[in-house]
Amino acid sequence: MVPLLYMSPAIVLFIAFTYAPFVRAISLSFFTVNRNTFQPARFVGLDYYKRILDLGGSPFGSMYLHSLLTTIEFALMVVPPSLIAALALAVLAQAKLKSIGLFRSIFTSTIAISVASAAVIWSLIFSPNARLFQGLIELLHLNATSVLTDSRTALPAVALTTVWTGLGFNFIIALAGLQAIPRDLYESALIDGAEGWKTFRYVTLPMLGPTLLFLLIMTSISCFEAFTQFKVLIDSVGPDQSTNVFVYSIFDSFWMENNYGLASAMSVILFLAILGMTLVQFRLDAKVHYQ
Amino acid sequence: MTNGPLRRTFVYALLGIASLAVLFPLLFCLSVSLQGDTVAPRVFPDLGRIDWRVFGDVFRKEHNMLRWILNSFVVAAAVTLGQVIVSALAAYPLATLRFPGKNLFFFFFLGSMMIPWESTIIPNYLTIASLHWKDSYQGLILPFLASGFGIFLLRQSFMTLPKELYEAAVIEGCGRTRYLFSILLPLSRPALATLAIYAFLSTWNQYYWPLLVIDDPAWRTAQVGITAFRSTEIASFNLQMAANLVVMAPTIVILGFGQKQLVAGLTSGALKG
Repeated sequence: MVPLLYMSPAIVLFIAFTYAPFVRAISLSFFTVNRNTFQPARFVGLDYYKRILDLGGSPFGSMYLHSLLTTIEFALMVVPPSLIAALALAVLAQAKLKSIGLFRSIFTSTIAISVASAAVIWSLIFSPNARLFQGLIELLHLNATSVLTDSRTALPAVALTTVWTGLGFNFIIALAGLQAIPRDLYESALIDGAEGWKTFRYVTLPMLGPTLLFLLIMTSISCFEAFTQFKVLIDSVGPDQSTNVFVYSIFDSFWMENNYGLASAMSVILFLAILGMTLVQFRLDAKVHYQ
Repeated sequence: MTNGPLRRTFVYALLGIASLAVLFPLLFCLSVSLQGDTVAPRVFPDLGRIDWRVFGDVFRKEHNMLRWILNSFVVAAAVTLGQVIVSALAAYPLATLRFPGKNLFFFFFLGSMMIPWESTIIPNYLTIASLHWKDSYQGLILPFLASGFGIFLLRQSFMTLPKELYEAAVIEGCGRTRYLFSILLPLSRPALATLAIYAFLSTWNQYYWPLLVIDDPAWRTAQVGITAFRSTEIASFNLQMAANLVVMAPTIVILGFGQKQLVAGLTSGALKG
């Protein structure tokens, strides 16, 4: 009894705000839901899932599948630059200099900046008033006055904001990964005649495998959960729906259309996608560690 | 390459360029806030016309600004305190006692981390709305009081303390709950600091949930406030950026003091032996 007593606040809170809502989201996804009472009204089976994955050939269906693909496109724009930037900064931050602590703090700094604050700053950076992207707009012959309102540049612009916002966290993890590599490995590499790029390629990178895998999965998951930067920078599905990522699309169905059943089905698909990525990490992680 | 002065200069140059690139958005934000009311903000402010009054103007022109910051402080502090207490209570038996179903409970707590918040946000919103908890502190605080990360972190920390400590304390007449609060917790200060800093920063920086459960402008949190303020007519670029800096300041100060603890906590999840 005693252990249960200590754990009871956590148990009650997790049931109330995590597990019960999760079960409710699954059950709501099979029903049309009354907008006023929030109660399930009519059983529709797998209709919403078919619509989202475009299996029934409904006229709206492809929009949700398109939104999933946009999310993957977004992740592809964010993840590689994030990892490369974090790794480059971490390698730099290993330099043996007196003032290196200052530089490490600077590289960590974006961890304190909220996604909302970052998006407010970047919306000014992208604004035609600041003229910082004027050159790019002319170079690409955009018809829009801002990179955020052209379907070719809007998603990359949000991706750039996202890379910057995540830099602090990714840097911390990459630096910790580098510091965990045993010194003597570098010494043996030196004895074998390897230095500079060769050491990095044949000692650092392989030893950093688990860290990079962790970063890869964490950044991918955060791309699938991204909402705030899209809400603040774009505040719509974007030019030609080019920035309608999945969580924004859920927000649209839920908040704008009050279609709670459909939005719940989308939430379940989001859960499955993220669960899939986590399981991939567990599998690969075991391999990377025990090979 | 040898460690000559040439190489050192080169490394310093690279570090300098990288720092400028990372800091550019923040410096630009500061620069624009000091440029006065202008429709064409520039990267470098005119040093002769620096206008510091903007930080006062933010509070004069947006009367809710102070309230928004207060709201965020109340919510972030309550969530931080709540997470520390709830996590400590749950981690205590998991780390120190033997009882049937212990692993099951551990997985129950850790399993919560597998469910993304975005997947449960709709039912949670419906719950808070039916309880008429929109525009209230409890609606902003309660859903975040339990943390799988917090329970995991404190359990790890409690497990490093020797069992003999408990036996000695019991001989001295110390009760079980008192042992947790007057011996275990003070000895787990690094882990507590990590959890507290992480909880405070992530709650202060929340956006999606407060956006949903707040209708009344006075109840906005700072994050929702600055994004709403941005689209009002009075918000010139300098005011927008000054408001943003005011809201960022507490988190930057906290990071300044607690960077070590935060880094230790975040990397403990990423790196295994």
